[in-house]
Amino acid sequence: MEKLILLLLKLCILVCVVHAVFEDQVGKFDWRQQYVGKVRFSHFDTQIQSSKKVLVATESNVFAALNTRTGELLWRHVDKTGPEGNIDAYLHYAQDTVLVVGNGRMLRSWDVNIGGLNWEILLDSGSFQSACLVGQQGIVKHVAVLKKTVISVHYLSNGHQKWIENLPESETVDYQTVYSDGNGQVFVLGIVPHSHITIVVYSMEDGEIIKQVSVEAPWLSNIPGSCVVVGQGMLMCVDSTTLSLNILDLHQQLQMTQIPLQSLGLEVDPGFHPSLVSHQPNPAQKPLSEFFLQLGPERILLLQLNNGQIVKLNDFKPLKVLLASFATTGEKTVAAVMSPKNATAYSINLFSADTGRRLLDTTLIFPVDPNGGKPERLHVQAFLKKDDSVGYRVMVQTEDHALTFIQQPGRVMWTREEALSDVVTMEMVDLPLTGTQAELEGEFGKKAAIQDGLLSMVLKRLSSQLIMLQAWIAHLWKLFYDARKPRSQVKNEVSIENLSRDEFNLQKMMVMVTSSGKLFGIDSKTGGILWKHYLDNVPSNAAFKLMVQRTTAHFPHPPQCTLLIKDKDTGLATLHVFNPIFGRRSQVTPPALPQPILQSLMLPLIDQDYAKVLLLVDDQYKVSAFPSTKNVLQQLQETASSIFFFIVDSSQGRLSGYRLRTDLSTEQVWEVAIPTEVQKIVFVKGKRPNEHVHSQGRVMGDRSVLYKYLNPNLLAVVTESTDLHQERSFIGILLIDGVTGRIIHKAVQRKARGPVHVVHSENWVVYEYWSTKSRRNEFSVIELYEGMELYNSTVFSSLDRPHAPQVLQQSYIFPSFISTMEATLTEKGITSRHLLIGLPSGGILSLPKMFLDPRRPEIVSEQTREENLIPYAPELIIRTEWFINYNQTVSRVRGIYTAPSGLESTCLVVAYGLDIYQTRVYPSKQFDVLKDDYDYMLISSVLFALFFATMISKRLAEVKLLNRAWR
Amino acid sequence: MASPGGQGGGGALSTRGGGGARRMKWSLELSAGNTRSRGDRQGGQGDVVYPIGYSEKPVPDTSIQETDRNLVEKRCWDVALGPLKQIPMNLFIMYMSGNTISIFPIMMVCMMAWRPIQALMSMSATFKLLESSSQQWLQGLVYLIGNLLGAALAIYKCQSMGLLPTHSSDWLAFIEPPQRMEILGGGMVL
Repeated sequence: MEKLILLLLKLCILVCVVHAVFEDQVGKFDWRQQYVGKVRFSHFDTQIQSSKKVLVATESNVFAALNTRTGELLWRHVDKTGPEGNIDAYLHYAQDTVLVVGNGRMLRSWDVNIGGLNWEILLDSGSFQSACLVGQQGIVKHVAVLKKTVISVHYLSNGHQKWIENLPESETVDYQTVYSDGNGQVFVLGIVPHSHITIVVYSMEDGEIIKQVSVEAPWLSNIPGSCVVVGQGMLMCVDSTTLSLNILDLHQQLQMTQIPLQSLGLEVDPGFHPSLVSHQPNPAQKPLSEFFLQLGPERILLLQLNNGQIVKLNDFKPLKVLLASFATTGEKTVAAVMSPKNATAYSINLFSADTGRRLLDTTLIFPVDPNGGKPERLHVQAFLKKDDSVGYRVMVQTEDHALTFIQQPGRVMWTREEALSDVVTMEMVDLPLTGTQAELEGEFGKKAAIQDGLLSMVLKRLSSQLIMLQAWIAHLWKLFYDARKPRSQVKNEVSIENLSRDEFNLQKMMVMVTSSGKLFGIDSKTGGILWKHYLDNVPSNAAFKLMVQRTTAHFPHPPQCTLLIKDKDTGLATLHVFNPIFGRRSQVTPPALPQPILQSLMLPLIDQDYAKVLLLVDDQYKVSAFPSTKNVLQQLQETASSIFFFIVDSSQGRLSGYRLRTDLSTEQVWEVAIPTEVQKIVFVKGKRPNEHVHSQGRVMGDRSVLYKYLNPNLLAVVTESTDLHQERSFIGILLIDGVTGRIIHKAVQRKARGPVHVVHSENWVVYEYWSTKSRRNEFSVIELYEGMELYNSTVFSSLDRPHAPQVLQQSYIFPSFISTMEATLTEKGITSRHLLIGLPSGGILSLPKMFLDPRRPEIVSEQTREENLIPYAPELIIRTEWFINYNQTVSRVRGIYTAPSGLESTCLVVAYGLDIYQTRVYPSKQFDVLKDDYDYMLISSVLFALFFATMISKRLAEVKLLNRAWR
Repeated sequence: MASPGGQGGGGALSTRGGGGARRMKWSLELSAGNTRSRGDRQGGQGDVVYPIGYSEKPVPDTSIQETDRNLVEKRCWDVALGPLKQIPMNLFIMYMSGNTISIFPIMMVCMMAWRPIQALMSMSATFKLLESSSQQWLQGLVYLIGNLLGAALAIYKCQSMGLLPTHSSDWLAFIEPPQRMEILGGGMVL
């Protein structure tokens, strides 16, 4: 009997262990957004009239097709990161797209209709210069790829090589461009800088050199930068020193004719390098004889080359032309010109490319996003209307990597925020309380209680209760109203105005900082972008550090976030202080930072406005505080003796600790030098400041306690050897107390190599590395324990720690590479911990920390069983139900952010990389809340039924008793 | 005894031959004392004939008194030794139920612990029971010891099952996280 019951209990427990989501929960708590990155090449698919595709190849090595109606991804191909997957050239013909990838390593042809790969061939790697499609008699059959020393021609149908030829005199001549205009010849243009242009003409048929000429051009240094081919094979170059156009007939190749810009009545803006843009609508035909000449940041002209003469077709005056672009549909080619209309709008006009005349009814006016960047590129899709006139749509690419698709007469169809493909750092901020909640907060605030008397307090209470009742009734009404509508129509429109914290604080504001300098505020529940703000003066190699100075808990003070932006070249930093809920710049003026900033630290001290104090350390190791009011400075003086900070200089291999003096100067307390010629510091990880540890120890099998060594000042320093030879490479882990500089523990993993991923939390450090000896990925875990007795259970001071902790370590084999790693975080730290591991395959694995426990025994004993320790097995297995993102692949995960929610069981997770994925995880299951699919109807109906049954049976029993009494 | 209509009871149903202002077939005399006194009087007058050998006074029975006392004593000892007698049984149950924490052992331990406690709580009632015995105090002591032993056994069982908070691990949840004395920040040079 007992065994039976035990069995039943066990069954119950086993049934409860379900990590994965159910089918009906898909998309309920999670969302994913897919991005492509900053667009480098784009092409509107005009193969079919009804086609609604735009093909984009991006700087993030992504090739994708977007739906022009909705802006959604139709398909996407993500290549390797870095130069290996870099898309060098984009060629399009009919329904095939040819990409040159990885500095000329690969040639790939894609079918754009379905996004399938037609063929792929491997080329000799490296030194890619240029590529072009080669046509003959109006049909394009070949593609030519030019490298530094060699030119090869491939069939467009299968990628096979037709011929390959070494370029003559390739040691001296720098070949840069290849050009073909459909007459069976391939022109290769090379240059000897400041001397002459070399033109080699190959026959398409067999690759024989037909002609090889040199033309003097001592002023020219870069062909693709300053030359275009126009009209009947005329090479047109612009010389920015003499401010002239130089024309060379590629077929005759006699000499360059120079036409000074002044003779055309044109002037170049001072300091501006003029540039040319030409257009070749069909690779089997000659380019247009019309071209754009840009003379200044707001001056672009449309010119035409006519029998060796340059004719000015249109100078677009009085428009200030920001961007101009050609577009072809059928036989017609148009020039789209974008100019600012007023401070809040841009206008785009269409001009005929042949005549330069403006086309009627083609003006398009669209508003400027005040929180966006300046327009950078214009992608125009022209199409023929039924009445044979030209219509068009434009895709505007702005500096903040956003794509905006606009239709006539200025309707914004969609916007894609491609900056989000490169999130650098993020924070999650609690949403503010609703008006009614805030009312209550205000009512029972300290200040209110002092000011008001008893009566007014009572009145206030009554009024706030009334307001709450009103809100509740409104809520009920809304529920009732929504319930009548079909499910699909009910949409909870989230906007900044109606943002409020939910019951369990599960909905938060995600503040995301992207490398382009654009900040986003995203609702964590739906993924909708609630605000965006573009910082337009962010240097390209900036380092960001985002800090929450004041949370929403201090009503009526607005929440406050501070973003430290540091230019890595100059070291100078700026602070951007903003309200994380609305994205607006705060009223607070950040201090000017004239000195280069090394680091910043957030203190738990708060000023009279409840803002946490931020200390900024400059390169003289002087400290400045923000905010720096009198109150703050006084507090700083009082607590200065207990404020320490550390600076790690990876380039010099120096870790140093400092302490604050009362006059806000600093003194060095300790220094650890790591010889840079042997190893370099890759990471320093402290503990997260908002981490709570509920249990101070672990219960052993004999019911004694092994106390954890919970040093809040502990730093995990990871070093990698500079020698990458597989026999000699190693990685090192140093556990250093950041206050005293004492090395608590040191571990060296020999024959191991990075990249190392580290998580440091509670009393453990988990790190992952590549073992070159066994050629596999390994996890290692270090846990620190104080022993069976606590040294001091009330306070922790690093300065008073006479005993070294016990260190336990164990390693495991992991069957996959990993991209990033983070630990779950909950409100009180009662819930067990899981490690969230981003895999290169796009999965996010939730691995229970229980499996990474150095106390896992090799031999199972009664005590270890009592402790629930899993017997040691070297392999960690990836179970498919551990993937928290089921089939929602997250490409190129770079970081995982975890935040606690109001529920102890629930941890919010955001994985970001090329995509963004948000979900919730329950490491110990949902022990504090009913499941979302809990059957309220069934339970309540059963309850009611039982209640009524009791009532009825009671009545019946009474009647029966009475009857019996009468008998 | 006091049921109405009972012959010689509280209220008597009687027929009267004659006399009195009103004639009735029968009447109910509600005043019990009155009836009784009349009945007594009637008994005294010999209206009701007692059987031969009936004596109204009880005759003291002296012959059985000795054995009765012994019986009471025995009975009292039974009561006093009851808890002690249960101990071997409890030991057997303890042995059988094992040390795993599941519903049956827990129920048994609860029973084992609850019974002596209940007995100790109702000590005074037991003492009243034992009042008639001459060795009242000794018996009380034995009874107490027996119950205490039972309770001790239950506690021992709890102990062996690990239900007593005697280890430091049982107080682990109440340890507050230590207060941090130093504030530390910093990191890699940005």
